[in-house]
Amino acid sequence: MTETPTLGSTDAAWMASRRSAAVDRLADLAMPSEREEIWRYLDLDFDPDIPSAPNAPGGAGGRDTVLDGWHGDVVSIIDGFVVTEGVPTIAEADDEVSLVGDDDLFSTAFTAYAPGAALLTGDQLTSQVLVDVQSTSSATTFPGVHIEVPGGSDASVIVRFRSTTDVGATVVPTVTANVGDNARLTLTMIQDWNYQTRSLGRGVISLHRDASVLFNEVGLGAKLGRLHLDINFVGSGSNAKVYGAYFGEDNQTLDYRYFMNHIGVHTRSDMFLKGAVEDNALSVFTGMIRIEETGQKTEAFQTNRNLILSSGAAAQSVPNLEILANDVMCGHGSTVGPLDKDQRYYLMSRGLTPESADRLQVRGFFEEVITQIPDEAIAAWVRDRINGKYVAAQQEGRV
Amino acid sequence: MPNALEVRDLHASIGDLNILKGVDLTVPFGEVHAIMGPNGSGKSTLSHVLMGKDEYEVTGFASIDGVDIMGMTVDERSRAGLFEAFQYPTQIPGVTLDDLTAEMAVSNPSDDGFEQRIAAASERLGMDRFRSRAVNVNLSGGEKKRTEMYLLGVASPKIAILDEIDSGLDIDAVREIGDMIESLRSPDRGIVVITHYSRILAYMSPDRIHVMVGGRIVKSGGSEIAEELEAKGYTEYQVANA
Repeated sequence: MTETPTLGSTDAAWMASRRSAAVDRLADLAMPSEREEIWRYLDLDFDPDIPSAPNAPGGAGGRDTVLDGWHGDVVSIIDGFVVTEGVPTIAEADDEVSLVGDDDLFSTAFTAYAPGAALLTGDQLTSQVLVDVQSTSSATTFPGVHIEVPGGSDASVIVRFRSTTDVGATVVPTVTANVGDNARLTLTMIQDWNYQTRSLGRGVISLHRDASVLFNEVGLGAKLGRLHLDINFVGSGSNAKVYGAYFGEDNQTLDYRYFMNHIGVHTRSDMFLKGAVEDNALSVFTGMIRIEETGQKTEAFQTNRNLILSSGAAAQSVPNLEILANDVMCGHGSTVGPLDKDQRYYLMSRGLTPESADRLQVRGFFEEVITQIPDEAIAAWVRDRINGKYVAAQQEGRV
Repeated sequence: MPNALEVRDLHASIGDLNILKGVDLTVPFGEVHAIMGPNGSGKSTLSHVLMGKDEYEVTGFASIDGVDIMGMTVDERSRAGLFEAFQYPTQIPGVTLDDLTAEMAVSNPSDDGFEQRIAAASERLGMDRFRSRAVNVNLSGGEKKRTEMYLLGVASPKIAILDEIDSGLDIDAVREIGDMIESLRSPDRGIVVITHYSRILAYMSPDRIHVMVGGRIVKSGGSEIAEELEAKGYTEYQVANA
């Protein structure tokens, strides 16, 4: 590990000016309001304490099951600072990379206070990469990852977010990817912050001609775990498969705002997210399929299925379509409801106790999305975590 | 010796609708019985009520091997030795047949024969290629019925009630199911086959046939009853019980 420089000291010229403009603009920006559609349903009554962004990373957390089961490369980001030797950041890159506009308080704060997103390209992408993103204190931090997949190549990246203490923090993670012509990206994000942490995440994936992405997101942790994802189908023939699995308990809010922006011709998106909430948890999924006038021959589908496992839990599921082209195929489906009575009856008629019948049904419900996670060890870990949460909820009488 | 199944004056209703109006039925161990009746006579309701499905108001008595099951939950009835093969088996997405049979074994710790029965039933019914697939998902009608017969073999019940096990099957599959049922005959088991049609009975040797009409068993007898129904239909009974 190298000595980590203080915030902004290694910025390239373009970044230095962008950063100082963002710092200036921050003074005028207020917290977003839940009256805005994109923030609807959320409790935004908290102080993000943006000036608490640290000048240096805290101490690294230990290894854990995920790292122990991992055979590829590891890049560590602690409190927003890339601490793995030899991994550059976009802040020090010669050419500007900016996929997220400074369009609200959090994205502007990211520009102002992020030490610099890890830049993964070329050499870093020759084997599978696990980015281990840690929050170590109550400081508000801005971890970022940018993946630049060169034309014609394959890349596989897992970004796992975790807290190394029980202290609550505000975190503004930003993950962006530029997938070149005829390139393929497999990107898995695992949100496993502690239950005191608020995470205001942003993701942007730009797909060029015939590029494809397999995107998985797993929502396990956080008091507020938000991901606002844009996939931009810029190039013709580009396509995305988007899967999600989330399980909320306690007072968690798991919040997904997914935008599929179809710009090129002959592009395709498939979104398929499954979630469960128990206790007093809330989940939100708003999926927008937006097809520009230029996006002829687009095929776009979204499905979101939610299980409500306790009377105090709730799920909002809002599919949206905005279609400006006239030759497209779209579909959407959304369900919110309790466990299936017929399945429970059938399983109990085979001798299963109601508890094991429900456990099996919950396991089966998530299996359809967990099997899409490309790394088997990671998928097994996710399966254990989600099913473990349900078993604990049963044992503690919450479901 | 107690009977595999004993049913006395069983009534069941949903709201104001009385479906079972006093069913009496005795199935001794080692015997195969058939219950025949027209649509709406209460045959499927009888099998769900015995299994303990919670949507009915029920009075009366039922026992398995002398054990009163009326106060039991669905899973307790299963563990007491009752198996219902469903007319429309429920899909369980994401749960493989192996997952299900493993849970059946876990839920029934006093029975240590599961592993052996899984292997034997899988071999007998050629289930190997289905065991890692999701339960009843993307299966043909015949494959679903075969799955039910497999689970019956794994559960090894004292009393099996097969609800319309022959519905939706072509004639070869009906013959196959008939053979499977006969192969399940055992001195430790009673079997009840519920059907509208007599055709499956041609491939079995039922010890007794019961005619169910209007929520009651109106006639019981030997194989001559099937022949008579084949010739005359149910009209005579429906008129008599109207």
